[in-house]
Amino acid sequence: MPANPAAAQASGGDIADAYFELLGERFEQAVAAVHGVDPVTNTKRRPAGAGTLDLEMAGLPVRLRYAGDALRANLLSPFEHLAAGFAGDPVLTISAFDTASSGIESPTPLWEPVEAAPGTNPVVRLHSERACVLAAAGSRALTAAEPDAGEAIFHLPDAGAIPPSERAAPIREALQLLMAARGRLMTHAGAVGRDGRGVLLVGRGGSGKSTLALSCALAGMEIVADDYILLEPESLRAHAMQSTAKLTEDSAQRLAVPSAAIDPAGFESTLEGPAKTLVDIRTLAPGTLKRQLEIRALVAPTLRPHTTAHMAVPCGLGEDGPVLWPISAAEGLRAVAPSTIVQSGFGGGSSLAVLADLVRRVPSYALELSPDPAVNAAAVDGLVAELG
Amino acid sequence: MAESFRIGPEIVHETVDGEVIAIDLDNGSYYSLAGSGPLVWELLAQGASETELREALEARFGGVETIAEDIAALIQQLQENGLVVEAEPAEGAVVVAPASGEGEAYEAPRFERYTDMKDYFLLDPIHEVDTAGWPRPAA
Repeated sequence: MPANPAAAQASGGDIADAYFELLGERFEQAVAAVHGVDPVTNTKRRPAGAGTLDLEMAGLPVRLRYAGDALRANLLSPFEHLAAGFAGDPVLTISAFDTASSGIESPTPLWEPVEAAPGTNPVVRLHSERACVLAAAGSRALTAAEPDAGEAIFHLPDAGAIPPSERAAPIREALQLLMAARGRLMTHAGAVGRDGRGVLLVGRGGSGKSTLALSCALAGMEIVADDYILLEPESLRAHAMQSTAKLTEDSAQRLAVPSAAIDPAGFESTLEGPAKTLVDIRTLAPGTLKRQLEIRALVAPTLRPHTTAHMAVPCGLGEDGPVLWPISAAEGLRAVAPSTIVQSGFGGGSSLAVLADLVRRVPSYALELSPDPAVNAAAVDGLVAELG
Repeated sequence: MAESFRIGPEIVHETVDGEVIAIDLDNGSYYSLAGSGPLVWELLAQGASETELREALEARFGGVETIAEDIAALIQQLQENGLVVEAEPAEGAVVVAPASGEGEAYEAPRFERYTDMKDYFLLDPIHEVDTAGWPRPAA
């Protein structure tokens, strides 16, 4: 084992480069395997297809390659709303395979594996100047990327049993790494609006972002996401990724979410709070899911009663309605930056400067949530109209 | 030679609206500095010693008795939380206080620590993040 950090870094860098190459070779083997012929026994395997899903995401041509229908159905389908043909080569390519579909295992780790305590998902991270590897010990999701080259490879043991972390935010690490290299910051925020302009909904998990975002979609507003967006800093655009959103059972009841929109896997427990399920925004609020919105403000939903010291802005919704008040740019930054940065696999530090620039350019507000989802949506809708 | 400081190696920080937001990338804790805290922070980031800090603030806000005590208390909090670490003074470094606003009154530094991101590091299976640190190569 290297005795000093510099030696460890050199060693880790070699490992990252080597493992990216190895995982890429395994993906190509998986593609060959699911096309019907086992390369070892030369016998026909179970029927499962390999293919591609071409998207426009955050204004970039993105190609998702998969080896196995289960990956397409269970992991990549939340990106279908971004499907778009493009001429020429993709700027970003993410290749996904699983062992259950292809029979191809991921390469043996070149690092000492980490044990995951029950309910935790520690991630081994390696990087060189060229490549990054993230190996999640709990979910066993594996991502290797060369961000500057726009290439990532993703592996799961079984796409028929997607772990909750991947179901909620599919191939998040691969997208975060590749998009960051193209100036798009994966930001922990929802986004809703009207006529192409809107607000970011910010705050840590459990603050009410998802419920508020879906309340807005059910009220006919445009929605880009409930939890994660890709921020293009210069144009202040929030871009969509997956079409799914996370809800607690209580929120699903209050929003009267039809059972058809709820993921068949039902509610899965999280340690951040109550169990959550996935809902598909396309089914829940047809026509409201958009590719992008131009951001005019940040809104931090809060379940705490506001204090009289705040300058409350009347919403015209009566005494029991929600109360919206301006907060400082620093408070807006505190609501959006920490959870965005701690969830960044690499390079989280530079994200703070991007988000600080965002809160300097657009105002921030807090919204004390009413128990009535429609009333909260009306408050956000009113703010969007006022901001123009 | 007077002891000076530098920002901790795992700390990222931005100053917005006269408030410093600093995040410790090592554990997810984040901090807010307000009042005269951002001024102290800026001078510390330039490599100021405690003596230089006190002189700069006294020159700016003359006659405030608590300045030395406030600075000592804030530096202790910053050090305890790894936000600043001791450093050798840089050769020939000159500490320059930012321009003061007209009629600016002294406000004691305000320091807040937030630890609600720890869950993301330790517990949350949805928001997976690193807890492993640098991996060791396989034997």
